[in-house]
Amino acid sequence: MASVRTQKEIRQRAPLWLVSLLIINCVIMGVDARDPDGQQKVVRVWTQLFASPLQNASSKASGATSNFFQQIWNFRSTAHENEQLKQRLSELEAQLNTARQAEAENERLQALLDLKQQNEIKSVPARVIARDPSVWFNTITINRGSTSGVAVNMPVVTGSGIVGRVITVSPFASQVMLITDEKAGAGAVVGQLGQSGALGSVRGRADLGVSVVEMRYVSGLEKVEVNDTVMTTGQDGIYPPGLNVGRVVDVKNGTATQAHQILIQPGAQLDHLEEVAVLLYRAPQRTPTPQETLPNVEKSGK
Amino acid sequence: MPPLKLAAILIASVALQLSLRAVWPPLVYIDFPLVVIVYIALQREAWQALVVATLAGVIVDAQSGALIGASGFSKTLTAYVIYFAATKVNLENPLLRIPVLAAATVLDSLVYVFVHRLLSQPPSAPVVQTISYKLIATTVVGTLLLYLIDSLVAERSAQRRQFATRRRVARRSTGPLRRR
Repeated sequence: MASVRTQKEIRQRAPLWLVSLLIINCVIMGVDARDPDGQQKVVRVWTQLFASPLQNASSKASGATSNFFQQIWNFRSTAHENEQLKQRLSELEAQLNTARQAEAENERLQALLDLKQQNEIKSVPARVIARDPSVWFNTITINRGSTSGVAVNMPVVTGSGIVGRVITVSPFASQVMLITDEKAGAGAVVGQLGQSGALGSVRGRADLGVSVVEMRYVSGLEKVEVNDTVMTTGQDGIYPPGLNVGRVVDVKNGTATQAHQILIQPGAQLDHLEEVAVLLYRAPQRTPTPQETLPNVEKSGK
Repeated sequence: MPPLKLAAILIASVALQLSLRAVWPPLVYIDFPLVVIVYIALQREAWQALVVATLAGVIVDAQSGALIGASGFSKTLTAYVIYFAATKVNLENPLLRIPVLAAATVLDSLVYVFVHRLLSQPPSAPVVQTISYKLIATTVVGTLLLYLIDSLVAERSAQRRQFATRRRVARRSTGPLRRR
């Protein structure tokens, strides 16, 4: 009888628990939705702090597993490749001497170039340890956090193009929103910066996936062609100017009153990211608009 | 369910959800916390199902680009709907769990997308396609997982099933044909 009563009580109280928990979730959502960009979210930082060691371990485990299967696969074709390689070896030995000289020269020039780049923007190399646990959004987690100098809104890049921006930082890990996310955006120009007027904004679209992004607001009067390169302008307050975004893969030409519809294939392979670099770059502060500087204007933050 | 077992299952499901995408990207379509929530709701453990739903949802949201609380909201609602159905209809039969799991996946995803759209933060994935993949993956893997959890931790449901079987046998033995 006692157990029946308990069940009855549970059944009566369940709607109350439901309503109170739904209200708690709504409050959290409301706070999260209101938070302006660029501010840390405490819940995210704490969960990341506890989750990053686990994600680090799983990332290493997955790498080891795929290597194991790759080695088994490679073993099958080894004998055939061995014959071919012996033939090529003799040819390559001749080329080796020439290459050594070129390499030495290349190293010297590379050192000079690196020195120049280091003076401009410092970067922190990082490894991707996890991807978004929900299917609905495009974020990645990297194994560098505030202890490495990473901060919110810093740009993340690979050698072949921009990846996204840091949205949450914990001491040993950071969350990065990819440029293919609908909420992400980057100021970009088709062609070379300073030579082209085809300025616009690059952002993701739900139906395009991670392989293509859309470029909006490019004037229909500008000339844009397939295979044109797209670079960052540095006007978005996130990315420094002159970074590669990708190349144009589709253009629907606009008119004098209608913008071009441009699709871009990102330069970075966003679905196979393993190593990235966080640029320790802070964009110059935006100068306030005349309205914001007026003495009697009510500040939105207060 | 004892709190320790509950905590262990919750941690395991969240850990799998957070880490398996790195191992093989399509595994993200399996919603492990939802499977656990469905299991607990089917056991008619109302408060446990609701609390686990909120906790798991908030943790997963915090690690994704989603609004924190959106997944908690959808999972809590789903947990209650399943609990309510389980109190009205006997869903102990393993075969019945398949449609329940499928319905839970669809309901959870629809509420999740609706909440994001409501707050002007639309998801970055095509809705119908994603829900379809999620439905297939979560239902197939979830059915196996439910069976696994059942065999590992469920004493009470086993007792309930035994009781139901005994009662059925007893009814048969006192049925009209026997009496003749």
